[in-house]
Amino acid sequence: MTTTDDALDAMPKRGINFAAMSSALSLVVIIVVFWAFFSWRQPGFLSSFNLLTLGRALAIDIVIGFAQMVVLATGGMNLAVGAIGVCTVMTSGYLMQTLGLPIPVAILGALALGAALGWLNGFAIVRTGVNSFVITLASANLFSGAMLILTKAVPLNGLPPEIGAFGKMRINLFTPALPVSPLLIIAIVIGIVLFILYRYSVLGRRILAAGANPRAAAMSGVPVDRVIVISHVLSGLLAAAAGMMLVARLGAAMPSVAGEDWLLPSFLGPVLGGTLLSGGAISVVGTMLGALLVTTIRSGLLVLQIGNFWLQLFLGLILLVAVLADRYRGIFAERRRLRRAAA
Amino acid sequence: MNQLRRLVLVEWSGLAVAIVIGAAILSMLAPNFLTEFNIYVMLRSFCVALLVGFAQMVTLGVGQMNIAVGALGGLVAIAFGGMMEVYGLPILAAVPVALLIGAAGGLINGLLTVRTGINGFIITLATASAFTGINLGITESIPFYKMPPALVAFGEQRIGAFPYLLIAPVIVAALLGLFFARTVPGRQLLAYGGNAQAAELSGIPRERTIVMAHVLSGLLAAAAAILAVAQLGSAQPSIGSDWLLLSFAAPIIGGAALTGGHVSVLGTLFAVILIALIENGMVLAKVDPYWVQFLLGALILAAVWLNRWRAVRTGTA
Repeated sequence: MTTTDDALDAMPKRGINFAAMSSALSLVVIIVVFWAFFSWRQPGFLSSFNLLTLGRALAIDIVIGFAQMVVLATGGMNLAVGAIGVCTVMTSGYLMQTLGLPIPVAILGALALGAALGWLNGFAIVRTGVNSFVITLASANLFSGAMLILTKAVPLNGLPPEIGAFGKMRINLFTPALPVSPLLIIAIVIGIVLFILYRYSVLGRRILAAGANPRAAAMSGVPVDRVIVISHVLSGLLAAAAGMMLVARLGAAMPSVAGEDWLLPSFLGPVLGGTLLSGGAISVVGTMLGALLVTTIRSGLLVLQIGNFWLQLFLGLILLVAVLADRYRGIFAERRRLRRAAA
Repeated sequence: MNQLRRLVLVEWSGLAVAIVIGAAILSMLAPNFLTEFNIYVMLRSFCVALLVGFAQMVTLGVGQMNIAVGALGGLVAIAFGGMMEVYGLPILAAVPVALLIGAAGGLINGLLTVRTGINGFIITLATASAFTGINLGITESIPFYKMPPALVAFGEQRIGAFPYLLIAPVIVAALLGLFFARTVPGRQLLAYGGNAQAAELSGIPRERTIVMAHVLSGLLAAAAAILAVAQLGSAQPSIGSDWLLLSFAAPIIGGAALTGGHVSVLGTLFAVILIALIENGMVLAKVDPYWVQFLLGALILAAVWLNRWRAVRTGTA
C-alpha cells in the first residue's frame, strides 16, 4: 500500500493542475468573447427562452464529454459512447412504455445497462490487449446494430408525461430572467462527484496513475487492468446518464438521437478543456467549459441564422486549434514532471 | 520463408473459405443469387467499398489512422459534381482536379500529424468535421444531379456481369500490390509502421513517410468518391458519411496489423468481397438491413481475435 502511495505522490498534479488551469482561463475568455459577440449581434441570444434551451443542451453535452473523459484518463478512447447512449435511451423507453414500469425503475435499468455495456468494452480490451479504438469501434456497431434490430428503428413516443415535463421544467435562479434547467443541475452534480473522485479518492488517483504510465503504475501495485475496466464501466454509466437526460429533453425515446452524432462532441469537451489524450491528466472543469464553448457556438450560429451547415466546419477548426494548444500544454506538463523528478 | 508462406496462407484461407461457403449457401437458398444481374449489382457495390478499404489500409500500414476518409470522400464527391454541373468542366479535366483535392486533404492531415506530433486520430477527427462542414456549407445538403451522360453511362454499363466501374479498383489494387511489394517508398512505409525507431535509425525519413501515407489515403478516398458519383449518377453530399466502419472493417478483416507494418492488398480485397456477399445475402433474404451493421461489428471483433491468435501462434506478438 505504501508503494502505491509513493507512486501517487509522484503524480504531476496533486495540488493544482497549472496546465489545465491556464487552458480553463483561456477558455473562459473565449467563451465571454463569443457571448458578447452573439448578444451584440442578436439580443435574443440572452432571452430567458434561449438561456433555458442552451442550458438543456449544455447539460447533455457536458455529460457526453465526461463519458469520453473518464476513458481518456486511462489513455484509451471510447467510440461507443453514442451507441451505449442510444441503447439506454431505447431501453428506458421500452421499460416505461411497453412494460409500464415506474420511471425510477426504468432509469435504474437503463443506467445498469449502460454500465454493463461499458464493462463489456473494458473486459474485451483488457482480455485481448487490442487497442480500445478498434474494440469500441466494433462494439459501437454491435450495440447500435442490435438496438436497431430489436427496435426496428421505431421511436417510442408514449412515455409517461412526467419525464418530458421534467425536461421542460425551469428553475429560476434569483430572477425569472435567469432560468436554469434541472438537467444542468444534474450535470453539475455529476461534475462535482467526478472532481472529488479524481482529486481525492484512491481509485481516482490510481486511474490517473495507470493512464500516465501503465508500467510504472503496475509496478507500484496499481491493478491496471481493473482500473481500465472500471473506467469503461464509468464511461458506460455516464453515457447512459446522458441518454436519460436526452429522453427527458425530448420527452420521447428516439433511435436516431445518438450514434455517430456524439462522437465529435464527446471529444470536443475534454480536449478543449485540457484533458491530455495520452492519459493521466484530466480536467473536469475544463470539460464543462469545453462543452459550454461548443454549445455556445451551436446556439449562437442558430440564433444568427447562419444555420447548421457551417457549424461542422467551425467545430472542426476549433478542435484543431485546441489540439495545437494541447501539444504545447503536453510539452509543458512533461517539463514540469521532469523538473519535479529532478528536484 | 516457409513460415512466411504459411502465415500468408492462413491470412486468406479463412476468408476464402468463408466466401465460398457463403456463396454456396446463398446460391442454394436464393435462386436469383447467381444470376448475371445480381452478380453485377454486387460487383458495383464492391468497387467503391474496395477503394474505401484501401484508403484506410495505407494509413494503418504506417501505424496511423484516418477518420477523415469519409468526410474527404464527401467533399471530393461534391467538388467533382460541382465542377461538372456548375462550371461545365469535362470529365477528363474534373477527375484529375478531384484527385488533387483528395491528395491535398491528405497532405493537410499528414502535415498536421507530423508537425504537431499529435495522435492522428484526433487530427483527422477534427479535419473530418471541417471537411464535412465545407461540404454541407457549399451544398446545403442539396446534391448535384446533372452529371455528364458519359459518366452516368460509365457507372451503369457492363460486359456480362462485369461493370465498367470495376476497371478502376482492379488497376488500383494491382498498383498498390506492386507499391507495397516492390517499390522503395512502399517498403519504407511498412518498415516505418512495423518499427518506427528501427526505421528511423536505418535512415527512413519519418515525416515524409507519414505524410506520403496520408496523401495516398486522400488520393484513394478521392478515387472512391469519383466512382461513387459515377455509380449513383449524382454527386450526393452524403457520400462518405457511412464509410467509417467499412474503411476499418475491410483492412482489419483482411489481416492488417493495427499497430502498423503489415497490410494485405489481397486480404482487404477478399474482406470486401465477403462484406459485399453479406450485404447481398441480407437483401436476398429480406432481412433487416440493420443486421449488416451488427455483423460487421462482430466480424471486426472476430478478425481482431484471429489476428491476435495468429500473432501468438507465430511468435510475433
